[in-house]
Parts: sequence; structure tokens; C-alpha cells
Amino acid sequence: MKKIACVILLSVVAVAMVIMTSIPATMAPVVADPAIVLSPNIPGDATFGPLPPNATNEQKLLAIQGDFDIYSWNTFIALNWPPLPNGNGDPNKTIGQNGDNDTVWEQYRDVADVFLPGGATPTYTGTVTVPTQCKASYKPGMRILSQVGKTPTVLTDFSQPFNTGPLIDQNGNYTRYEILVNKPMFDYILQNKLYSKAGQKAFTGEVAFPCGGPTGPEGAIMVKSAWRVISAADRGRFHTETVLVYTPASQNPKYPASCSTKLMGLTGLHIGHKTDSASQWLWSTFEHVDNVPTEAEVASGKLKAKYNYYNPKCTAANCPPNQVPPRPWNPTKVSAFHSQVIRMNMFKGNEFAFQSADARNADALKLLLGVNTKSVWQNYELISTMWPTNTGKCLATPGDPLGTPAPNFLANTTLETYIQGMVPNVSSNCIECHNNATMTNARPSDFTYILQRAQ
Amino acid sequence: MSNNPSTPEGGSHPPPLPVASTPPSETTLQAFADMSAALTGFQSSFIRPFLDPVNLSGTFYTFAVSQVGQPRMDALLSAFQALSNQTPKPTPQQIADTLLETSLDAPSLQAQLCQSIIAMWYLGSWYTPGVLGGNGFAPPALQVISQQAYTKSLVWNVAQAHPMGFSAFTFGYWSEQPASLQTFGVDITNGGGQ
Repeated sequence: MKKIACVILLSVVAVAMVIMTSIPATMAPVVADPAIVLSPNIPGDATFGPLPPNATNEQKLLAIQGDFDIYSWNTFIALNWPPLPNGNGDPNKTIGQNGDNDTVWEQYRDVADVFLPGGATPTYTGTVTVPTQCKASYKPGMRILSQVGKTPTVLTDFSQPFNTGPLIDQNGNYTRYEILVNKPMFDYILQNKLYSKAGQKAFTGEVAFPCGGPTGPEGAIMVKSAWRVISAADRGRFHTETVLVYTPASQNPKYPASCSTKLMGLTGLHIGHKTDSASQWLWSTFEHVDNVPTEAEVASGKLKAKYNYYNPKCTAANCPPNQVPPRPWNPTKVSAFHSQVIRMNMFKGNEFAFQSADARNADALKLLLGVNTKSVWQNYELISTMWPTNTGKCLATPGDPLGTPAPNFLANTTLETYIQGMVPNVSSNCIECHNNATMTNARPSDFTYILQRAQ
Repeated sequence: MSNNPSTPEGGSHPPPLPVASTPPSETTLQAFADMSAALTGFQSSFIRPFLDPVNLSGTFYTFAVSQVGQPRMDALLSAFQALSNQTPKPTPQQIADTLLETSLDAPSLQAQLCQSIIAMWYLGSWYTPGVLGGNGFAPPALQVISQQAYTKSLVWNVAQAHPMGFSAFTFGYWSEQPASLQTFGVDITNGGGQ
């Protein structure tokens, strides 16, 4: 009997060793299958279940994509958890228990308060930069959607990557964006004085933000969010904030700086996290379920009555999809042009990404509805998680610095509206794009463009 | 008189090539990858990684079969398997020399297919078997197989470089010593990569 047990044990070990020596060491399976959980704990990294025996390439990718998508949902849940005064998730509360709630990520530091005028030393907590036009309306604790100052053409206050144009909702209002960083990311910038041009010039090392580990603390996280103006009647479908919306002055077209108080609804959330299993960072992208229809839904005519960025009553001839709004762009006025956006199928050949996101979204929805059937968080869906398939522990593989990402392409329709597609180096690929990021002195900045904001 | 449909120019299309109706098995794709590794001098684990979201080996296998037909590809893979199973096991270089018939003046149809497979991996393009080799320049490729076939073709790895319009390296990489050929997937055992 002992002999049989020994043979079985050896067989299991042998199989495990085959698995362990085949997949990247940072993706070694854990004993239990990972699962989406309602928890305020931000995962430091993804954890991995065992692969199916004799799995095909597609099955292996589906299994590991599933693990990363579970990580993404656990991150989304933890980042949107009600916060304690210190910014961490409050273990005595639950996401969506009252329908909507303030969130952990909104306590992170806005990059506008990291890269200060004159390269001044920033603080993680404390006063925020309040533009002159907002001062009359500002109350302590109030958030300001603004990214003021000379910024590169990456994600300015109302435009999108590569200055491809603004996104205008079906009410004619411009979508607004913000970028925030967590404490580990902020601390790295502070310790290395990367918040100023002078500090970046003096920095002789290689920029390397901290990696999160599966059991350890989180690594560097940056969050990009997209918001649209909503009416009070739509409050129940969105995570909302009443914020000050600041628009800096422009010369072309000419308009002065302005600031107004608006009720804004969250439409997109993009989370980048540097981890042991992803020195190229993990890219989790979420959207509001009412944003846009997919190509397939448009083709089949199975459309909702209303979308945030698509008019189902307008034909393709009258409203050609995914077009950059005509200039001049003036976010201070209600636009006659409304963006007509369709989610393009960017997963051809990577269908595992669809399958995995659909399954994980269904799992998360059940959990969120279990807390409260009126939870606003039920209205958000994971589009996918981009992860490197070839990587070392918190270190890229030489010869393959991008780590061969899966899926090959990924876009959030609120953040990369006009660069959807499947053309290498042109269509949206989080890792490929961010690999080009540099500091103000043109030295690589470890997959983040925010260091270019230093003054 | 051919029964093939006429082309607008008055010629006729060749008869359709026999192609398997089911997708290739994992075993077939792995055999194709192993053979491709021997022919190209790259590591098999690089040609067909354990996790492969690009799946170039699947794309190339399917494309080659569509051009030459299933029976011809099956015959080539059988020849490769027979060589691989010999005792003592030949080196990848010996397998490549045998399949390419490097000791013969006039390569067979099978060896010409091997030449096209090598060109497919290195250039991401398909050259009709028989047009490569010999003296002078080969005629233009029939087609570039896909965008990723272009950006990920092996010639860039051998050059430790990247294609125009697509780079995996960070800004300023040109001032750094490139990574070793081995890290670019080249099989450096038995004198490879020298």
C-alpha cells in the first residue's frame, strides 16, 4: 500500500515538475484555484491554478488568462472598496453596500500634485493644487479633475494618447481624465527625486519601480480614469463624484481657463500594476457596461436603447464610427458632434481573452449583486488583462523586453478610442506603447509616461 | 481540355490542393516546430513557446499546407520524424543537411519545400518552392504572410535588431550592447550562432 502511495506521490511530483519547468517560474501554480473574492486587500500579484493535463496552447492561455482576470477583478474590488481615513480599504465595510461609495484609488495621489511647478518636492498627503479659477468653489477634500501645465501629448486634460482627440459623449460633453499613483509608486518617485527635471537629470540608475509579490505588498500602481457628466437621474448606474472640472486656457481655439462643479460618472478605469510576474506591468482595463456596443452587436442589431458613446438610432452613413471629432476642440462648450464609438474586435486569434473575461465578469457580477442589488459596481465590466507570457521575476527576459504580451492587443474605448485595431505598433497594446515611455531626458522610465510631466 | 474554371485572362486555375478539414493537432504543430527549429538553427522553445499568444508556428504551418497541400507536408514531417528517431540521434544541423539535401546539386521537391519553410521563418514571406536557391536573386515573394510574420520573422533576431516601424526595445537601445544571440532564440549548441 505504501509502495502504491509512493508511486502516486512520485507521479504527482513528476507531473508538477514538468509543469513547473515549463511555465515561467513566476506563474508557478498554487495549491488552491484562485477565485474572485470580496476583500479590501489589493493583490500584490496574480496567483495561478494548475493547468489542465495535456492542455493545448489555447487551453493553457485560457487558463492563465483566467488567473490574471481573477487578479484584475480582485484588484478592481479592492481599489473600489470604501476607504478608511488612512486610505486603505475599511475591513468593516463592503464594496457597494450602500449602492455607491468613495474608493481606495481615489485616495491615491493625482499626478498634478506629484509634478509640481518648479520641480518642488511633493507630498503624498496634504494640500492639493487648486487652480485659481477653482478656488472660489473649492472645499477641502473636494477632488479636481485637471492636469494642468505643460504636459506631453499623452493624456492631457481632455485628450487621449498621442493627442488622437477628445471623446465626446451623447450629450455633447467632453470626457475628462485623471491619473493617480499609489504610495509605493509615489515613494519611489520621491526617494529618487524623479519629480523634477533636475532630479531626473541627476538620476544615474535605471528607473525600476517596485514589484508586488503574490504574498507581499502591492507594487507600483497607476490608475487612469475616464469620467462623463451625468444627470442626477443616472446616479444609480454609475460610480459618481461631485468634482471641480478645470479646463486650462487655450489659444487655439481661444478660450479662458474655467472651472465648474459637475456630477461626474466613471466610465473607464485602467489599472497598471508592476508585479513579480509582470515586469512589463499588468494592465487591467474596465469599462461601464453602457459605454459602447461591440462590432458584433452592431452587425446583429442587438443594441441597447442608449449608450454613453454611441447612438443606436444613427446609421453608419450618418454617424461613421470611431471618428476623431472635428476641430476646433472646445471642452468648455457643449459639442454638436457626438462620438459614435464601437468596440472593435481586437482579439482575433486570441479568443481566449473573450472567453475568460466573459466568465470572470459573470462571477464578479454574482458577488457584487450578493452585496446589494443596487450596487453601482455591477455596471462595470472587465475588458481584459494584458500580461507578459515570457518574463522573469520582476525582470524582463533579455531579447524579449516586451515579454510577448497576451492578448496581442487591448484597448479601453474611453481611453484609446481611436487606436483600436490589430496593427502592430499602431493599434493599442498597453505594454508595447508604454515600453516607449521616457523621462524628460529621454531615458527609459519603466513603462510610465507620467515622469515626462516633471518641471 | 481542363475542367478548371477559366480565369479572366483565359487561363485556368490549378486544382485545389488537398487540405485537412480539422485543425492541426498539438503533436503535428510540435513536430512542425521541431523541424522548423532544426532547419532555421533556432531553439524549438523559441519557435513554439510554451505560452504562445502569437502562434506563428500554427499560422506558418497552416499557410504552408494551403500552398503545397496536406500530403506533401505530411510526407516532409514523416521524413523529419524518421530522422529524429534514428539512433544515435542526429544533431539539428545533421537533420537540416539531410532534409535540405545539401550534398546534392539538384534538390528534390521535398528539399525545395524545406527551403521555402526556412524563408518563411526568416522573412515572414512565402516563396513558392523551387524559386529559391541556385544563382542570382529569387523572384519576389508571393506574399508577406501576416503583420506579425513580418514583425517577428527570425532575420531580426539574427541581426539582434528590429524591423522598420516596430521595435521591442526602449528608447536609446542603440547605445547599448545588444543581448546575446541565445537570448534572441538562436540555438548556439554545436557551434550554432557562430
